[in-house]
Amino acid sequence: MDVKDLNELRGEFEQLQKREMEAASAEGSCATDEESREDYPDYMIAMYEEVMPPAKAGIYFSRWDLKAMAAEMDESFALDIRERMFKNYMQWVATPDDMQLVMTQFKKHIDIKCDIYKDYSKKYPSSKEIFDKKIKKAESTKKYLDKVFIEFFT
Amino acid sequence: MQDDLKNEQLARVNIYALISRILMNEVDEKLLELILKDENILSFFPEFKKWDKRKKMSNKDLIEKELNVDFTNLFLLHLIPYESFYIREDQQMETGGDNPVQALYNDFDFRVELDEARVMSADHIGVELEFMYKLCEAEYKALEDGEETIAAEIAEIQYNFLKNHLLEWAPMYLLNVKSEAGTAFYFDAADLALEFILSDFEYLTQLKDSEYSYKTIAGDK
Repeated sequence: MDVKDLNELRGEFEQLQKREMEAASAEGSCATDEESREDYPDYMIAMYEEVMPPAKAGIYFSRWDLKAMAAEMDESFALDIRERMFKNYMQWVATPDDMQLVMTQFKKHIDIKCDIYKDYSKKYPSSKEIFDKKIKKAESTKKYLDKVFIEFFT
Repeated sequence: MQDDLKNEQLARVNIYALISRILMNEVDEKLLELILKDENILSFFPEFKKWDKRKKMSNKDLIEKELNVDFTNLFLLHLIPYESFYIREDQQMETGGDNPVQALYNDFDFRVELDEARVMSADHIGVELEFMYKLCEAEYKALEDGEETIAAEIAEIQYNFLKNHLLEWAPMYLLNVKSEAGTAFYFDAADLALEFILSDFEYLTQLKDSEYSYKTIAGDK
């Protein structure tokens, strides 16, 4: 099979996938972003599994981001493995008010990144679809943060 | 090949070569001298150009005391330059043969020497940019040989690779590199890489919309 055949096959497969996805969406059989999020017994696990993965949040929260978010709340901890830093950041939370502060930091960070995505979308319109997907995930993540707060802190 | 088209294609080849090299491994004195001596290349590094430390330190000291430290932080320690981390919901890296990017490389006979490249996996940003470099090089050669149909097929592979791979994750990573860079050099390198892949995707989208008619694209300029 030569390169041309491979490319044709790939193109046909992508079209087939696209048609199937569009048909599923039209039937309403695709879960909304909120519905596709899992439930967890613990808020820390919930946030680590649903907010920290770039694939789910549309945003990359790095170790330095966690450190910077904590600094905004006058908290400080050493750079470490990302998961451990996340736990250090969350272990500070003792009350609903504490959690609100943490949520505010996450949302502020999400908004900053989404604004950057929007700027690039305007400058490079062909990339709008790509950035819109990330922005949609980010907005869904903000709603998920609200859900976590209601579920575990009210 | 028309001169405008030739220059545009050569520029794409050279910029992909430059950014893949810079984001793959530490800068050495040879590369740094090349960047500093060539005004065209240096113009891609505006903050580095006016950076005080660059003017006060020897190239050797600049590399050892500043650039290498920053490279270690941005590419080895604190940030993750591998696609699978950003695509997988479990935040894991796929270093084995199941990596979809590796499978794609195999389809096009692009061999990655992980040891030589000193990367853990084929979906490292430097390797993915090198793949684009090789594709652009092949496209340029096809155009030089008058093989526009083959060039168009290669351009389509580039378009799909940017859309389905690099642009899915590299913006997230490069934005963090920009905000966490400790040196003007890597700030500019991340900015250059991000702006370039986005503008190249604009170009490839325009080319695709013209049904890969190079004459139409060249005529638009």
